[in-house]
Amino acid sequence: MNTNSNAYTVIYTTLVVVVVAAVLAFTAMKLKPSQDANAKAETLRQMMSAAQIKPTDELYATKNTGVLQLYADNIDRAYTIGLDGAQNGTLSTDKAKIELVDNLKPQNKAIKEGGDVTLPVYVFKSGVCVIPVYGAGLWGPIWGYIALQPDGKTIAGAYFDHESETPGLGAKIKDEAWFREKFIGKQVAFGTEQPFNLAKNAEQTGAANAVDAITGATMTSKGLGEALNVWFHAYEKHLGTAAVNPNEEEE
Amino acid sequence: MDKKLKETILNPILKGNPITVLILGICSSLAVTVQLKGALVMALSVTIVTGLSSLIVSLLRNTIPMRVRIIVQLVVVALMVILVDQILKAGEGTYAIDKQLSVYIGLIITNCIVMGRIEAFALGNKPIPSLLDGLANGVGYGLILIIVAFFRELLGSGTLFGIQILPAGYIPNNLVILPPFALILLGCIIWAHRAYDKDLQEK
Repeated sequence: MNTNSNAYTVIYTTLVVVVVAAVLAFTAMKLKPSQDANAKAETLRQMMSAAQIKPTDELYATKNTGVLQLYADNIDRAYTIGLDGAQNGTLSTDKAKIELVDNLKPQNKAIKEGGDVTLPVYVFKSGVCVIPVYGAGLWGPIWGYIALQPDGKTIAGAYFDHESETPGLGAKIKDEAWFREKFIGKQVAFGTEQPFNLAKNAEQTGAANAVDAITGATMTSKGLGEALNVWFHAYEKHLGTAAVNPNEEEE
Repeated sequence: MDKKLKETILNPILKGNPITVLILGICSSLAVTVQLKGALVMALSVTIVTGLSSLIVSLLRNTIPMRVRIIVQLVVVALMVILVDQILKAGEGTYAIDKQLSVYIGLIITNCIVMGRIEAFALGNKPIPSLLDGLANGVGYGLILIIVAFFRELLGSGTLFGIQILPAGYIPNNLVILPPFALILLGCIIWAHRAYDKDLQEK
């Protein structure tokens, strides 16, 4: 057979592509549930690390099912809000079908462009509520979870993660425990132009909302500072006015 | 084992090492060698991808139309890379590593070793030798990756596989963590390899 004729070439390539597409579609379908479970457990670990439910190392040593159980045991309720601060949905906290808003990219876009948002608020039984932040680092997206005390402005804990920041420099936002521990006890200045100040020598000002930027990671720090401010602004109508009390329902 | 087969397996690891002799796959050896764990997963992934895509292309070698052979090879390699990425994402223990390596796993497709071995070997050889050639090249690549990662993790973080090795007073060297140091280290390895094996030196 002439393997160099036009008809053979066209049929051959079509066949190869169809077979490959079928194999990929099948694997993607088969593996999707376990991939989603991994992603969900990862988000829960980061949220519970911020909420100080358990030390970060311990959370990462816990298997997925253990993480789901821990979340179900500690969560009080979860809901979503709009930019006007009013609740616009609830998220299930039942262990079998935990609901999260874990795709933050479209939310970030909607906040900036003023579209419809469903910003999540996770209230834990300890009284702290966890909110996400999301923005752009130097090389790719960076995000994190901030836990706030029942007064709605004092930071109880934080956890940051990134896709591809420079190891040893920008990646410190995730790798170094001292960086996230710096946020504990700081107060978010809701209702002001700049709710949080992450900059070089910011701590010298003595302000309650200031944390020093990371040396050598100027762009990552700048991106994180901007992410914090954008998201704190988005939550300020909800958190800046009324404190979140876990023992009472929202008005 | 016959001599030719032995040669196929040993050559890519020593005398024809893809990184130090053929100077292929440099980009990823700079990018994923900050920690041993990442380097090990990358080495395994590349070995599996080169091995299996060489095998598949070798099986198809008499049916592939020569005019579109590069495209067909590319599709086969892409299939393998996506499968590896998907499987790493699905495993509970490998998820964190996949997240760390995400971009570079996808970039295995651009690793010259994979296409290079298919073009140079798998297209003209039987399936079993092709599989072995692919695997051996992956091992040769992985070996250098692990050597580089060993020094970078030890000097850059004072740890090996995340376990503290150097005393707590050791101040991690930030230069070691950055890619340029990997290039310097790679240069030293090539130097040592050439000094050891006189056949590799140009006259």
